[in-house]
Amino acid sequence: MPTLLADLGGAGLGMPSMGDLSLQLNAGAIAPEVAVLLALLISLLVDLAGEKAASRWVPPICYGGLGAALVLLALQWNSPLAPSFFGGFLADNLAVAFRAVVAASTLITLLLSWRYVERSGTPVGEYAAILLAATVGAMILCGSTDLVSIFISLETLSVSSYLLAGYMKRDARSSEAALKYLLVGSAAAAVFLYGASLLYGITGGATDLASIAVALQTSAKPVAALSLVFVLATVAFKIAAVPFHQWTPDVYEGSPTPVVAFLSVGSKAAGFALALRILVGCFESFNEQWKLLFTVLALLSMVLGNVVALAQTSMKRMLAYSSIGQAGFVMIGMVCGTEDGFAAMVLYMASYLFMNLGAFACIILFSLRTGSDRIADYAGLYQKDPLITLGLSLCLLSLGGIPPMLGFFGKIYLFFAGWADHQYLLVVVGLITSVVSIYYYISVIKMMVVKEPQEASDVVKEYPAITWNLAGMPSLRAALVGCVLVTAVGGILSNPLFMWASSTVAGTPILQQAIAASGGGAAALG
Amino acid sequence: MTLTLLLLIPFLGALGLSLWPRTLCEVVARRTAIVLLIIQLLLSLRVIFLFDSTDGGMQLQEGLYWLSSLGLDYRLGIDGLSLPLVLINAVLTLVAAIVSRSISQRPRLYFCLLLVISGAVNGAFLSQNLLLFFLFYELELIPLWLLISVWGGSNRAYAATKFLIFTAVSGMLILGAFLGLAFATGSVDFSLTPVTTLQLSMGGQILLLSALLIGFGIKVPLFPFHTWLPDAHTEASTPVSVLLAGVLLKLGTYGILRFGMGLFPEAWSVLAPGLAIWAAISVLYGSLAAIAQVDMKRMVAYSSVGHMGYVLLAAAAATPVSLLGSVFQMVSHGLISALLFMLVGVVYKATGTRNLDVLRGLLNPERGLPLTGSLMILGVMASAGLPGMAGFISEFLLFRGSIEKFPIATLLSMVGSALTAVYFLLLVNRAFFGRLAVTPVDPNSGPLDIRIPASTLVEQLPSLMLAGSVVFIGLWPTSLASITESATNSMAQLMSTLSIVLPIGVTP
Amino acid sequence: MTIASFTQLICFSILSITLVLGALGVVLLPNIVYSAFLLGGVFLSVAGLYLLLNASFVAAAQVLVYVGAVNVLILFAIMLVNKKENLAAVPGLPLRRVLSGLVCGGLLALLIRVAFTTPWALPGPSPVGEEATIRIGEHLFSDYLLPFELASVLLLMAMIGAIVLARRDVFSSDIVTGAPVDQGLIEKARTPLLVQNPVQEPVR
Repeated sequence: MPTLLADLGGAGLGMPSMGDLSLQLNAGAIAPEVAVLLALLISLLVDLAGEKAASRWVPPICYGGLGAALVLLALQWNSPLAPSFFGGFLADNLAVAFRAVVAASTLITLLLSWRYVERSGTPVGEYAAILLAATVGAMILCGSTDLVSIFISLETLSVSSYLLAGYMKRDARSSEAALKYLLVGSAAAAVFLYGASLLYGITGGATDLASIAVALQTSAKPVAALSLVFVLATVAFKIAAVPFHQWTPDVYEGSPTPVVAFLSVGSKAAGFALALRILVGCFESFNEQWKLLFTVLALLSMVLGNVVALAQTSMKRMLAYSSIGQAGFVMIGMVCGTEDGFAAMVLYMASYLFMNLGAFACIILFSLRTGSDRIADYAGLYQKDPLITLGLSLCLLSLGGIPPMLGFFGKIYLFFAGWADHQYLLVVVGLITSVVSIYYYISVIKMMVVKEPQEASDVVKEYPAITWNLAGMPSLRAALVGCVLVTAVGGILSNPLFMWASSTVAGTPILQQAIAASGGGAAALG
Repeated sequence: MTLTLLLLIPFLGALGLSLWPRTLCEVVARRTAIVLLIIQLLLSLRVIFLFDSTDGGMQLQEGLYWLSSLGLDYRLGIDGLSLPLVLINAVLTLVAAIVSRSISQRPRLYFCLLLVISGAVNGAFLSQNLLLFFLFYELELIPLWLLISVWGGSNRAYAATKFLIFTAVSGMLILGAFLGLAFATGSVDFSLTPVTTLQLSMGGQILLLSALLIGFGIKVPLFPFHTWLPDAHTEASTPVSVLLAGVLLKLGTYGILRFGMGLFPEAWSVLAPGLAIWAAISVLYGSLAAIAQVDMKRMVAYSSVGHMGYVLLAAAAATPVSLLGSVFQMVSHGLISALLFMLVGVVYKATGTRNLDVLRGLLNPERGLPLTGSLMILGVMASAGLPGMAGFISEFLLFRGSIEKFPIATLLSMVGSALTAVYFLLLVNRAFFGRLAVTPVDPNSGPLDIRIPASTLVEQLPSLMLAGSVVFIGLWPTSLASITESATNSMAQLMSTLSIVLPIGVTP
Repeated sequence: MTIASFTQLICFSILSITLVLGALGVVLLPNIVYSAFLLGGVFLSVAGLYLLLNASFVAAAQVLVYVGAVNVLILFAIMLVNKKENLAAVPGLPLRRVLSGLVCGGLLALLIRVAFTTPWALPGPSPVGEEATIRIGEHLFSDYLLPFELASVLLLMAMIGAIVLARRDVFSSDIVTGAPVDQGLIEKARTPLLVQNPVQEPVR
């Protein structure tokens, strides 16, 4: 960047020629985001034609945009690396993998949403547009390598999330969730800006992460540690790590359920990508410090998330706390900083996508049919609705890490990586807390499967007849069955997923550097 | 391929049952399950013929690469230690399916879970990869939890949850130990090779072995970790009790022998005296607690605690004879406890109570349960170790093999064996002998009425089969010994060479 | 010390004191209208600081955007929603105030200490003065193109979101089935935390 600035400054107004500029921009890297953006704009335009037309045409437009984005991402896989936008964006495999997770989570969330949104009497077109905007923000966040890009994409994601959280404006709880999310999120953004400005100051005016990393290495100053703390606080807020988790339960409980599905997977995946970019890529010289902080965060998240989840009576709140615990498990991989650690992180995020969204699909379906979200209301459901019972049971077992579900392999891989890197404390706490998590997941299954017909809840006793012919229901069913199938069978056939995760790490320069550095350090110690 | 078939048949059978398009009535589900389990039994018998009984190592190995980056490969194999257990599993699951007669609610799910458990147990016995074993070990957890909590007694929710938590903790301990073991050498290797631990320091070995012992000790169950077992047995239905006592507890002892002793021979020889004492305590505690029970099922459950303790004693001694005895004990305990649980189930079904303060004189030929009573007397005699039955052979081998090494612990265990006779005689004496009580024995309870006609011979066929095999092994122990002996000999040899090379208590 | 630097110091001190006092007033004054006006003063002082740093473009943008638009909007909002709300008393308020004051004071002390001990790269890049606008334009269309374009998405979304939230018409019936809508699909039993007595809104 400095050389570029010198060029620009030296040449004065003499900008590079157009062809040269477009070559240097390398704007093809954000083609997937452009596809999503196009879908966003088209659905806004279609929405002008009235609500009927919108509910007819917006879904296929969104599928088209997100599908195109996924295809374009697949084409970017393992492509030669060249920074885009003069170092503002990098489409390495890490970015591609996490953007794919985000795009897939949006796609599945949209499949789950249509019926819910129409049932609640809110406009479909705007809903899809805001969700797609959040997706664009999250996807660009995954690949940003510049503080300014990171901040703007983070804000795009956050502002859209606030809007989504408050989308059910008739419901006071939804507004409450949006307000809380807005206040806490703005504070986090302000803290991030403060940290970023400190970085800008100590590096003498650099905003791209590579130059900041170099500057930090040559001159480590106390103020850099301070900026690390500020940036880390924002990252922890985004991934809802204890003690920056307090917004999670209230926001999850109040927001519309499909939005929660997106927040718990897509937004969190973007948060982890950001964490990798900033902490691994930029704060390499503060490896010890941030790893220590992250170890503490991971321990607290695993313990508090899983223990507090025990006491919940609301399904969404329970999943909110469990997602805090799950984030703690993922952080084990990050603390390791080894090849296996990063690969396990990516793998677990991918499997979390399917199992968590599968669980949310079941919850959405249940609340559409009964209007309830209380765990006690699931009592005796097996008789009335075997599909929800089976799907939710499998997804929850997978979240609890029971074989042969997908989550078992993801969790084993994380523990494996943690043990290989001698993170014994983290692994032991992870093992203990996963027993705790099995207990509360099982208690939901007990409600659904074990209760006798006469013990069924009133809601279940008056369960409506199961119909799938309404608009939006077939897509919900498709998403539910798809997620549950992947969760159940994906574990046994997870070899491609493992390959994918390890080639994600192999195709990402910053991770390779970090692995080489930690490997070198270990060799020096040994 | 034969071993893979042993897994595939139950799993695919369960899948087929669950995907059966139409509503499945109980009879069809049960018959399908029985047919599948008969095929499984025949396949297990076929393995005996393929098996070379002179070879002490793993045989019929087969496998596929699966998740190599995780060190998890699909590797199966069988030896003289696992073959009897696979057979027991096939027999007892079949028996459990046969006696599952009154499954009025959700028969499809019930028989699916039964098949899944059978397949998972087979998988655990056949795994040649530690993670694969762990996978199967955990796989059996949820189906059994469901079997207890859906088809159990009145207090089933408590018992099932207790079972679940204990077993989940045991699984986590085992996983921790396996992870520690795999990284012991620096390179990641989850395959079953005992030499890797020799590179660990003695402290590390003892730590990992302790985690394994506690983990499997919960499953066996051994004394302080046993509290889930009586509850689970009391609340579980008869077929589930048969499976639990006959098959699933063997996972614990199998794990101790295969992974505890097999992978940590050095640390094992250091800990052996302590383990022998632990075994003796467990035996005595189980036996004494059994005496105090008034619920027949709970009594049999506590007797399991005692009898499974013998296996640990034999494993601690690790002589060729004691190890052979431990395999015999696993087999005979599986058969005998399954028989006893089934008979208790018959009594409960007929009388509506298992309370020994209420039951009297059931041997009455007119209105009592004479056949059940006779079989019960036989089972009790076998359990107490009377000659001519499987219990005698196993206890004789066990004590004979262990007494040279740990005389005090063995003597204490023999006291436990004598106590078996005490409590089972109490059981038989109270419930079966004497005058059939038409008038209430206990002033608080009503008169005892036998509600259903005495069971026919056909219904008692499974019990008769089990009783027959108990006597068969008792009369012709060579049949089992010839399969097992070479494997236990090679295990014992490993231990003895190690203890020659490395005197006890000396760290390398 | 030259006269120029002395003048700069005096201006800086005046602006900083105004800034700090104004900011304290924004937070501490009970009357929200005063707070809003003081906020305008704070924005103006910040603009003055930018001017001192020779960043005239940023100073102008600060005045136009924050004072001209944001602050005026805040005043409008206050005037439109001129309603006395009796908020529920927060239990243990003094203790909470002391605690948060301690945390903030600690953070302030830490920041001051760090600011004084850090060897800052002084003097920074030389100010470009009048060329700033050109330079910013160049950056916006070269290396900051991505955030610049993304900001347009962000603004578009904020606009749509504002309309969605402000619009009164929520459909009273399901588009597809015609059944009355239900926004309380989520757990109905719990009452929200912010509102003391939730008013039952009639479904239109």
